[in-house]
Amino acid sequence: MEAPPVTMMPVTGGTINMMEYLLQGKAGGQRGAGGGWGAAELCVSGTGSVLDQSLESLLHRLRGLCDNMEPETFLDHEMVFLLKGQQASPFVLRARRSMDKAAVPWHLRYLGQPEVGDKNRHALVRNCVDIATSDNLTDFLVEMGFRMDHEFVAKGHVFRKGIMKIVVYKIFRILMPGNTESIEPLSLSYLVELNVVAPAGQDVVSDDMRNFAEQLKPLVHLEKIDPKRLM
Amino acid sequence: REEKQLELTLEALISQVADLKNSLVSFIYKLENEYDRLTWPSVLDSFALLSGQLNTLNKVLKHEKTPLLRNQVIIPLVLSPDRDEEIMRQTEGRVPVFSHEVVPDHLRTKPDPEVEEQEKQLITDAARISPDGAQKQIQSLNKMCSNLLEKISKEERESESGGLRQNKQTFNPTDTNALVAAVAFGKGLSNRRPPGSGGSVQSGQPGAGAIIAGASGMQQVPMSSAPAQQQPMLAGVQMAQAGQPGKYIAYLIVIIKQEAR
Repeated sequence: MEAPPVTMMPVTGGTINMMEYLLQGKAGGQRGAGGGWGAAELCVSGTGSVLDQSLESLLHRLRGLCDNMEPETFLDHEMVFLLKGQQASPFVLRARRSMDKAAVPWHLRYLGQPEVGDKNRHALVRNCVDIATSDNLTDFLVEMGFRMDHEFVAKGHVFRKGIMKIVVYKIFRILMPGNTESIEPLSLSYLVELNVVAPAGQDVVSDDMRNFAEQLKPLVHLEKIDPKRLM
Repeated sequence: REEKQLELTLEALISQVADLKNSLVSFIYKLENEYDRLTWPSVLDSFALLSGQLNTLNKVLKHEKTPLLRNQVIIPLVLSPDRDEEIMRQTEGRVPVFSHEVVPDHLRTKPDPEVEEQEKQLITDAARISPDGAQKQIQSLNKMCSNLLEKISKEERESESGGLRQNKQTFNPTDTNALVAAVAFGKGLSNRRPPGSGGSVQSGQPGAGAIIAGASGMQQVPMSSAPAQQQPMLAGVQMAQAGQPGKYIAYLIVIIKQEAR
């Protein structure tokens, strides 16, 4: 083989750090569910969208309904990495970095398959693992064998109400890979997501979410959308 | 005990009446001073307020704890033409003297003569109608009221849906689906596919061109080719002797899952 393999020493150094970080990050990233990584966290979510022209009224309403007078805006670059293993379905990890806030760590997230539970449950429930990482995350994942499947830029607002988080953002397609300056919006709508990260087995949460979704009703229709159905 | 009840009732009545008086005062002020700016809803508000207060007043009077005020008699004990400071204070300067002129007006219980006449008229009319006739009249009144209510509610419903039809388009369900698909598995986002392609190409297809140059090359780098060197560093993690980094990843994932348990 002509080309020498990519140097491994720095990579392994990086790998160890990342791994430790990974494990540490897990403990740190927990939502105080009694130490350790014991409780599986569930991400419960409802999704909808709003057209550009109705965005202002939605933001107004959310500003009234949610805590905090100051809504946060964010500009994130998300990359989704896939690992094709022996199993049929690839392992998916999502890496996000903030483009407008400098000192914020990268965010690695794993989202499991939607839980097949009560059909009447109004929200999508998935197992989720959130980890804060250092910024050599992409190199690490690539060295581990992940390949980036797609990436996008998300720009929008975050609102909070208790443990519920409401994110209203616009998805931009990246025209040239790796270049986050040349982006174009994917559609004329903003995506609205209402999600809650909670320890397993809390169905009360989904009732709260439904009540909140009711309050946004005529403007946005938040519902349980299973991404697999849209494949 | 009864005296206590009486006292309590009187206090409640006084406070209710004071509230009523205040709203009347503000209403009169509004009418006198802001008559050019006054809107019908505002007037309606004031009327509603007054009606509500009259209602509560009635409730207080009908309350079970209220003794029968009918059985009480109020007799003025002393009438004097001199100014009485106490009364002045209590009535906010409106009644300076508790004298012979003032008392009949303030303590009267009979309604005005005109009102009395009307009441008498109504009573005689009512007595004249037979019970059947009365019943029929009641029924027709009820029917008319319900018809009217129905008409109003229908009108309201129709106008609301008409309004809705105009404002409805605040979201587009197709857009929702497209956005969710984009976030979930990159439909329409990947640079491999031409923009705007509606085909649902599985994003997990291998060999469709590496996004990161050399990624496939890197994948072939056998991590296992130098396990000996890495062993000491990766203490605690047994290096799978497989040719594919995939197995290493799988092991790592197993660790993560075990931690999760």
